[in-house]
Amino acid sequence: MRYDCVIIGGGLSGITCGIRLAEKGASCAVISTGMSALHFSSGSIDLFGHEGEGKTVFRPFEFLDDFIGSNPLHPYARCGSSQIREALFYFRDQLGREDIDLYNNDDANHFHVTTLGTLKPTFFSQRSVFNEKIRQAFEKKSKIAALNFEGYRDFYPELAVINLKRNILFRNIEIISGKILYPDYGDPRRNPFEYRSIDIARIFDTERYLEDLAAQIRAAAGDAAFAAMPAFLGITNFKRHHQLLQQLTGLLIYEIPTLPPSILGMRIDNALKSRFAALGGVYIAGDTVKSGTISGGRLESVYTENGGASALGAGNFVLASGSFFSGGLVSEFSRVREPVFGLRVHSDAERSRWYAPEFFPRDGHPFLEYGVETDERLNPLTDDGQRIANLYCIGALLPHYNPIREGSGGGVAVSTGYRAAELILAGN
Amino acid sequence: MRLMKRIETEAIVIGGGATGAGTLRDLTLRGVRAVLIEKSDMASGTTGRNHGLLHSGARYAVNDLESARECIRENKILKKIARHCIEDTGGLFVTLPEDDPSYHGKLIEHCKYAGIRCEEISVQEALRIEPNLNPNILAALRVPDGTIDPFRLTSANVLDAQERGAIVLTHTGVSGVIREGDRATGVNCRDRRTGEEFEVFGGIIVNASGVWGQELCASAGIALRMFPSKGSMVIIDYRINNVVVNRCRVPSDGDIVVPGDTVSLIGTTSKKVDYDKIDEITVDQDEIATLLESGEKLIPNVSRTRVLRAYCGVRPLIAVSGEMDGREISRGIVLIDHEKRDSVGGFITIAGGKLMTYRLMAEMAADLACAKLNLKKRCRTRTTALPGSERKLDQAKSVKFFTGIPNSVVGSTLYRHGQRIRNILHRDKRNYGLICECEMVTEGEIEYALKKLNAKDIVDLRRRTRIGMGPCQGQLCAYRAAGLFVKYDSATSTESNKMLVDFLEERWKGIKPVLWGDALRSVEFCYWIYQGLFGLGDVKFPEEGEDR
Repeated sequence: MRYDCVIIGGGLSGITCGIRLAEKGASCAVISTGMSALHFSSGSIDLFGHEGEGKTVFRPFEFLDDFIGSNPLHPYARCGSSQIREALFYFRDQLGREDIDLYNNDDANHFHVTTLGTLKPTFFSQRSVFNEKIRQAFEKKSKIAALNFEGYRDFYPELAVINLKRNILFRNIEIISGKILYPDYGDPRRNPFEYRSIDIARIFDTERYLEDLAAQIRAAAGDAAFAAMPAFLGITNFKRHHQLLQQLTGLLIYEIPTLPPSILGMRIDNALKSRFAALGGVYIAGDTVKSGTISGGRLESVYTENGGASALGAGNFVLASGSFFSGGLVSEFSRVREPVFGLRVHSDAERSRWYAPEFFPRDGHPFLEYGVETDERLNPLTDDGQRIANLYCIGALLPHYNPIREGSGGGVAVSTGYRAAELILAGN
Repeated sequence: MRLMKRIETEAIVIGGGATGAGTLRDLTLRGVRAVLIEKSDMASGTTGRNHGLLHSGARYAVNDLESARECIRENKILKKIARHCIEDTGGLFVTLPEDDPSYHGKLIEHCKYAGIRCEEISVQEALRIEPNLNPNILAALRVPDGTIDPFRLTSANVLDAQERGAIVLTHTGVSGVIREGDRATGVNCRDRRTGEEFEVFGGIIVNASGVWGQELCASAGIALRMFPSKGSMVIIDYRINNVVVNRCRVPSDGDIVVPGDTVSLIGTTSKKVDYDKIDEITVDQDEIATLLESGEKLIPNVSRTRVLRAYCGVRPLIAVSGEMDGREISRGIVLIDHEKRDSVGGFITIAGGKLMTYRLMAEMAADLACAKLNLKKRCRTRTTALPGSERKLDQAKSVKFFTGIPNSVVGSTLYRHGQRIRNILHRDKRNYGLICECEMVTEGEIEYALKKLNAKDIVDLRRRTRIGMGPCQGQLCAYRAAGLFVKYDSATSTESNKMLVDFLEERWKGIKPVLWGDALRSVEFCYWIYQGLFGLGDVKFPEEGEDR
């Protein structure tokens, strides 16, 4: 098989890149080993949340204008400020076509509440996490009902409320808690279901339970204006059912990102795959690229685990295989390597410097900033210093940024994915 | 002025390791009123930091016949009284091509002197028993080694004592010994969680605080020098062997692989440490390299298996005199009557020894304590089974009894709590929801640990239930456990948030020395959840007591 472009990795960056390429008419294949890291994400797209000293960034684009100049190796510097903006709003439009509405607070960050009741600055969130009405209700200090689902093991409102109450923004907001039950639950003593978010999302996706669930939410919320719930309000029928629940209850129904699996992230993952397919992209799931043929500074073809000896050829390739967690980087007793092509990696030779002494360090863990070195065009080098001109590295595989400390993972994935597509399109 | 709280008792035991817990139980079984004081959690010191080997004594037979005899006697007793803490796996001593072949014969001979059944088997038979064994071994011996869970053992001793009326104060530090003339009459205490200070008075004080006893003795005006020696171990993420595998040679670094629960463990190194460093020891990189290299020689699979964590403990040896290597000093039991040795009445020290001989040490300490209290009561611990081990429960019957509850849940609960499974699971299926999937820990087991087993935080809970000890090291279950502390009124929301931080930092200590491969992947995920998704590192905690 031969494509215009083969993308290795089907996460946020890889598939964003694929959508842009496919939309412009390129024949495109995405090869994905397994689950996208979106399934473990908050489901919001962070752009830049915290500066070096841990200070909150309120206006990320203004911040980036300066930041890029003084951090030339940062992935954002490979994209440039105007293309980052272009990429993000392109991404929002594409998701909009798949019925996922992303909201932003104009050019400023907004904050979403975490499972533990801390606030995280982010740029785009889904309608159920942030929108104008939620902001207004919040500014009016409306009463909030934090509701959980009986049998859901992954949310304990008490742990969140105490931290929220300590935040000045919530100090004068009344928060009550309550529970809703699976309508077919029966005697809860005899049926201690072990729900994960995905199980409950399926219940909310089911038409026949909606009225019952709405009545329970209404009753549990009392005179609150908000009902805040862990993000489990459905996947496939989310948009319609969320609106219906709000109509039936007269409440603003708000979601809090949960422990994995992340329903908010899965909605985005599904939408991206659907959009990619609609544009004619080929999504090869459950296969892993093992090696490639490099000749004259170009990657000619790749071999996959399932493909055996048959090669996949393409004019351009994109490596979006993620960080350690996704297998894009591999660490051994005393080195870090890129497993598919043996690309040159930025890391430290001394393992004791890979990590900070505390688990929650102020400056983050160094290993999070390791990755494949690239030039300005996102092209990597082989271990012996040869540049591969038609291979582009994007997303969490890239070094010189700390997605967790900065709050920049989603933004880097989307911008570098888009950037690689633009470079490929410009080259042809 | 507020009056300071004051507790009066007959005997005070200081130190919640196996020896202290065993002494408390022994005294309580004799009808003595007793209080145990532990500065951290039960089995949080040396007791919980060994390789969990139920010694046959063979390891000591050649060098230390006395210890070997003690081991085999206690081995037989523990198999009766602590069966739910023990796996009777059996053990092998194997000779590698590079080992001195004469040690094999020497070991057989000395095991005979010590009364340890030691059977020579063919290499083929050894490989049948343990298929993962290095096939190049030259000779093999079979001995009655097994495995023992130090957390369960200590907890069962304390539980029995508490059910018989003893008082247990964990997370309580002893700041000094109270003396009246030439007698020690009590101790000053401080609850480290609430900050409350109080006094405990008793007719006899038993110092069972192991290597930390040097400071305690000093506060009573007694000079006692401990000789700390560090032992490091690594844990492998799968149970790669079924029986204990020993290397048949003069005791050295990395010559044993012990299976335990769902994992295997390679032990041990021996390094001298300075006394003022005992609370800050860490595993060195060269120790990890040595252990993995030696472990691989016994069981080649080691090199292809994820290393879960590395940890170290301090051996509580009492220095006799001069400078000696940590291995050459006797592991023998030391019982000191400070009335005789230092003219301080009402104070005795039990130290040295090993986990295997905890019961014997407790018996010796309790004998002396009773003599000092002028009580003539016989020791009953040789035959009285620990709670959970009274009867041997058949797994198949238990699974049938709890029909409807997954077999894996019944099996794990039975394995960890023996007969006490009936206090944890209910036939109406209440509380069997899983909290920790790696180790099959249910909400019911956590409730039981919080209410009956003195678990005060998530780190304690880990020692009672194995929560967070499996492959994921607490990624999802730590948060759930924190929530359950609030649900069962065992902590405030703020305390729960704080104990979540403490638990993850505690797990991190053992993971970072082995941070490569899948361990690093797992940490990236865990850090992503607790910092990336939760922002736990940004939670601001109020000053002590603000939320109470």
